[in-house]
Amino acid sequence: MPVAEQYIQYVRERTIKEPEKSWDKILLGFRMNSLRMHFFPNRKLARGYQKLEEMMMKHVADSLSRPHSYVWGNIFAPCELVNAFGLRLLSIESLACYLSGYHLEDFFIDFAQSIGLAPTLCSYHKAFVGAVESGVVPTPAYAVTTSLSCDGNLNTFRFLQKKNNVPFMLLDVPYTDDGDAIDYLAGQLEELVRDMENRLGCRFRIEKLKEALRIENETRKELNKLAEQLQVHYYPGAVIDQMYLMMATHLLMGTPEFLELIRFMNEDIQTHPEFTGKRILWIHLLPFYQESLNGYFNENEKYQIMATDIIVDYLGDLDTERPFYALAKKLIENVFNGSYGNKAKQICDFAGEVKPDAAIHFCHWGCKQAAGGSVMLKEAMRREGIPLLILDGDGIDKRNSHDGQIKTRLEAFLEMIGEGGAEA
Amino acid sequence: MIGYICKYTPIEIFESMGEELERIQPEVTSFNQADTLMHPNLCSFAKGVLEDALTGRYDGIILTTCCDSIRRVYDVLKERLPDKFIYILDTPRITKDAAVRLYEKRIRSMIAEYEAFSGRKFDEEKFVALIQKKSRDDMISLKKDRLNVGILGARANPNIQKILEEHGVNVAFDLTCTGLARKILADDKEPFAGYVRGLLNQFPCMRMESASNRDRLIEQYVGSVDGIIYHTVQFCDNYSYDYAWLKGILKKPELLLETDNTKQSYGQILTRIEAFLESLRETGAGRRQGTPAGADRHLSETESGGGNAAREGKKMYVLGIDSGSTSTNAVIMDSDRQIRAFEVVRTGAKSGESAERIRDLVLEKAGLKREDLSRIVSTGYGRVSIAYADENVTEISCHGRGAHYFNPEVRTILDIGGQDSKAIRLDANGEVVDFVMNDKCAAGTGRFLEAIARTLEIDISEVGPEALRSTEEIEITSMCTVFAESEVISLIANNKEKCDIANGICHAIANKAYSLMRRVGMEPVYMMTGGVAKNSGVVRAVEEKIQAKLYICPEPEIVGAVGAALYALDTI
Repeated sequence: MPVAEQYIQYVRERTIKEPEKSWDKILLGFRMNSLRMHFFPNRKLARGYQKLEEMMMKHVADSLSRPHSYVWGNIFAPCELVNAFGLRLLSIESLACYLSGYHLEDFFIDFAQSIGLAPTLCSYHKAFVGAVESGVVPTPAYAVTTSLSCDGNLNTFRFLQKKNNVPFMLLDVPYTDDGDAIDYLAGQLEELVRDMENRLGCRFRIEKLKEALRIENETRKELNKLAEQLQVHYYPGAVIDQMYLMMATHLLMGTPEFLELIRFMNEDIQTHPEFTGKRILWIHLLPFYQESLNGYFNENEKYQIMATDIIVDYLGDLDTERPFYALAKKLIENVFNGSYGNKAKQICDFAGEVKPDAAIHFCHWGCKQAAGGSVMLKEAMRREGIPLLILDGDGIDKRNSHDGQIKTRLEAFLEMIGEGGAEA
Repeated sequence: MIGYICKYTPIEIFESMGEELERIQPEVTSFNQADTLMHPNLCSFAKGVLEDALTGRYDGIILTTCCDSIRRVYDVLKERLPDKFIYILDTPRITKDAAVRLYEKRIRSMIAEYEAFSGRKFDEEKFVALIQKKSRDDMISLKKDRLNVGILGARANPNIQKILEEHGVNVAFDLTCTGLARKILADDKEPFAGYVRGLLNQFPCMRMESASNRDRLIEQYVGSVDGIIYHTVQFCDNYSYDYAWLKGILKKPELLLETDNTKQSYGQILTRIEAFLESLRETGAGRRQGTPAGADRHLSETESGGGNAAREGKKMYVLGIDSGSTSTNAVIMDSDRQIRAFEVVRTGAKSGESAERIRDLVLEKAGLKREDLSRIVSTGYGRVSIAYADENVTEISCHGRGAHYFNPEVRTILDIGGQDSKAIRLDANGEVVDFVMNDKCAAGTGRFLEAIARTLEIDISEVGPEALRSTEEIEITSMCTVFAESEVISLIANNKEKCDIANGICHAIANKAYSLMRRVGMEPVYMMTGGVAKNSGVVRAVEEKIQAKLYICPEPEIVGAVGAALYALDTI
């Protein structure tokens, strides 16, 4: 057994035995992994993805190593605003993913269920609550969540506040997209700044926020360019890289290093050959551990995931002179907000630009907002001439995701869309 | 007629416009349309609303942005019913002034759209006059000399209240979405804004930010009742957080009850509520000595016959009969609490027939005649189908009683039967203080084991001994019986040893059992009952998981029947 796997096994066993005493071992593993990615990256991947993996591992390892340097959030919490305090944002969904690297998700999920959380709840939320409640994960001084895009957010953060005294602020994102909604949410963002200043004693720098939004606008242009390039070039990546990209576009958006990375990718991709296989647009989360999916989408010249809906969940330009207004507008116009008809339209518009050959909608266990619209999206995509496969499974809990079933469905779908280029 | 679901819906607006409103309370037989148009894993209430709405009986449906599932219901209804008034109200989650202002605007937009749809006109003066007339009902009503039970959690299925009332229980409050008296604030200066403020400031549901207020009110109400039924809806997960929190702070007996808005779930609800009421009555102020008050009792010839026998000083006998899904078990006990005979038979397609058969068999074994039996108590899923029983008691109370009979030290019971698994916690007197049961899924039950044994092509009795010979650890990850079966088929295809697969299955069952046991609280001594307790592989796996020995009595299948017999002895 490789050393890394042995260490993972060791940490898993110790954590189950003595949850309260395992955090240092977990953290050490994250740091070692961050170094490993720097010195011994996976050479099969394109360099851009190697750098992305290292960047995201480092973000988590560095933040967790300095307990006062970060706040908890959900994936849609405004990282730009948190960064303007000189703090980092760690989303609980991402942390659940990182912890699953130790194959501990079953232990955490069972723990959460044993204290009363519903077995049908989203596995990311259960895994995270289990990790905190079992005493494994230490708590920060503050947390912020949006009501976007699921019911779990408010409930998880409120539960952790009650049980572990982690103060949090809810950003209530209105459903309807209009000026009143933007003003309402912008007011809450300003209140969030005041609350963080009061509770954390940190200074908020509005100029830093404006600068972040300028960088974000640039980054978004580069991301659009990358999506275009992915139509043309084969850029070897892995399923997990799409997850890293999801995290980066929400936790590191507006930072110079992320802009630099995407610029690098746009240059690097041009040195790669033409892509002649099938381009897949992925909808919702990816079960990065699933054997069959990795078999078909990791470094495969025949099939390339070109984007996921979460990476392109907002495509507008931010008004840098009105940062609170801009961030409120970004959340309200997010593809995950409002009706599913609106989401389906935005995804179809995007597909019209990047021209995927097919789409896959992964219905993650417990995610009602996504699963509930999957049939509607399939119908909308069909009208656009894009076949869509609905796959049921679990983004993190292997027990809810049967590889044999996924394999059969995936292979049948890939057979259906053919193996050759776009014209096949 | 307009249908609505949420207490934050401004129904008085529509009332003032002369529109008839009805709260949608679905009770359906299938989710065919919802599963096809949305996804099976959505909240079953929301799916029921969709099924109900698609029948076309409403001219319009007003939804709110209350939860993820309902938002998706709106998307589908809007597309499917283009000629109806399908509206979703963007309801804030906070209650501050900015939220009140925003909600007022949202409601006014809705009014404008409804006016255009219906041709009716909204008259603010008429509306204000209406809300001024409305008064708030009291949220709590206690009754003396009756059990007072409160309902908390997600929108309560109407059957819960019905069952409680039929069992002579007073529903002191219903703080679920559906049960609340509406809060109307009549503000003279700004009547409309005042009304909106009142709407947002109702007893908060779990989608609202102001949860601390909720906790305070709940603690206040709960203090005055005998017990709490905490209701959740399948795939509505928000209330499980509330339950997990309240479980730790409320000092009252509680029952966690999950329903799925189908007509078929009535039997399950009934068993759980009856068992809960039995435990409340047993622990509550010494109201009874033995037989659960309120249990269905019928005077019969055997009862009077038993009385004669007692007067004549003859030895008396009672019969306890446990009609389970897989086996029917019977025990004859004498008045000295000694087991005279017992019998276990397979429950056929008709539980009533196997009950007839087992009575004759066990009487024969005991060398007794029907008229020698002074009293008969039935338990188990088929308890109500046993016509000759004098009384029926739920299997939860009977297992508690039976376990205490075999070993008074037992505090936590794990019972795994054919289609049920449950954990029961007892106090030092053998009274049930808490219990949880598995959901509808067969994972971790005897049926699960049977299916896997069939796949492995071994007899179910061989699964345990096979598992004990295992040398390689195999993890069965699927908990669903069907998926686990296909996982086992893949393992067989990969040439894995039968013994290792069998052991993997035993561990899968143990994991499920462990989570049930943790939910009632792990207090030693532990006992395992039910047919699966005969499986040495499962027993070993559970013992490893709980890191303690399990006490297993010689015939673990008859514990429920022994409990039933003890209940029968109580009354003679």
